[in-house]
Amino acid sequence: MGNPTVFSYSTWWRVGLWCAAILWNLGPRPGLAAEEGDENISEVLIHHTVDGYYIALEPIATIELPRLFLLRTAEGSWRLDAFGSTASALHSGRYVANYEGHRYTAADELEELIATHRHLYAELYPRDGELVLDLSITRHYVFGLLSALLVAGFFIPVARRYRKGTGRTTAPRGIWQNLAEVFIVFVRDEIARPNIGEKADRFLPYLLTAFFFILFSNLLGLIPNLGAATSNLAVTGVLALFTFVIGTIYASKDHWRHIFWPPGVPVFVKPILIPVEIMGLFTRHAALAIRLFANMSAGTLIILSLIGMIFIIHALFGALAAWLSTLPSVLLTLFISAIKLLVAFIQAYVFTLLSALFIGMSVAEHAHEHAEHEEEGAAPVVHAVPTAGETRTVLP
Amino acid sequence: MEPTALAFLAAGIGAGIVAIGAGVGIGRLAAAAMEGSARQPEASGDIRTSMIIAAALIEGVALFGLLICFFLAFK
Repeated sequence: MGNPTVFSYSTWWRVGLWCAAILWNLGPRPGLAAEEGDENISEVLIHHTVDGYYIALEPIATIELPRLFLLRTAEGSWRLDAFGSTASALHSGRYVANYEGHRYTAADELEELIATHRHLYAELYPRDGELVLDLSITRHYVFGLLSALLVAGFFIPVARRYRKGTGRTTAPRGIWQNLAEVFIVFVRDEIARPNIGEKADRFLPYLLTAFFFILFSNLLGLIPNLGAATSNLAVTGVLALFTFVIGTIYASKDHWRHIFWPPGVPVFVKPILIPVEIMGLFTRHAALAIRLFANMSAGTLIILSLIGMIFIIHALFGALAAWLSTLPSVLLTLFISAIKLLVAFIQAYVFTLLSALFIGMSVAEHAHEHAEHEEEGAAPVVHAVPTAGETRTVLP
Repeated sequence: MEPTALAFLAAGIGAGIVAIGAGVGIGRLAAAAMEGSARQPEASGDIRTSMIIAAALIEGVALFGLLICFFLAFK
């Protein structure tokens, strides 16, 4: 090449992007500082990690989310109340707030509660009648919806492209189609086909949906003021429930036989093994839910705690130590954020992989002469998913 | 000692033990993966994939323990 310049246009671009990323991550810290003024830091951390009835875009605004209550009135009829925000629900006079054990019933008490912004953390109960279900829109719901819309908005145009023929008869064109193809082929060839075998393509829509929804949710959770829908046990629980339901619906008879009458095991061990197998069926899927939930919420908590460390040091050691600890704390947060980015991808991959594994295990069909083959010591039967005692052989 | 203080103490000690368990387990896993990659560099891709899967599973178990520590500390 000719005369190499040290700083070219692309270098400035890269430097600019790095600075933007760092500032983007540091943005909400003044917001955290403002909130820490009222309450101690650990409560702030917890309130930002768990679900809440508001979206904190500090220091710009706090968006209160609509509240929906399903109640049964004193006469016994059902009613659905909808409010635009928690404050308006309290203003309507039909609700009392319960905050940290103290009931706020009178109007002026409620006003005071709203003025100090603590009404968002209170539980609301109707004045007369009983609350059946609190169907309020919460933060995690909003971000789950956003993630679902992103997945749909990203993949439906790509699918339409494929249906028109680009990518099937000709090479895929464009960034989005190629990117989507990389991930979809990865899920199909590394996750679905090795684990489920011949019937993989039937379950591919579910596996792909789960993978991308979890991936997008995890990534949304890394953006400073947004949260991850998957850091809510309800969301991950429902995803694991879907895996369980699919595994149950499409289970082969051999699957049930393996659970309720394990072959190849002496009879006196079976009464011990059968409950273990049944419990194992449920714990496997529960573990799927808990693993994703704990990883995501722990990640958010750690990132917030590292930034909150500045404030804790400020409270313990004074202002100078707090200023000194700013730089190491921020660097540590950046490092942990990078790790959480990796964890976001890995957890989506692991969830999909284990879902495929469980579905494969329930769908797998063995030749019916399986038991006799084992006893006669004939040629071993090769299964799509290896049973205990077999090593995985490569399928032709 | 009051139950709350004991609960906090238990949460702290529990979290420490969870970290030790996860660290030891994943450390041994990483060591085995390194050794396997060193013996056969062509297989390092497969080894890396298996290592990540196993690490995620071990971390899942560690996070179960951590969850219980959280419950102890905050409930």
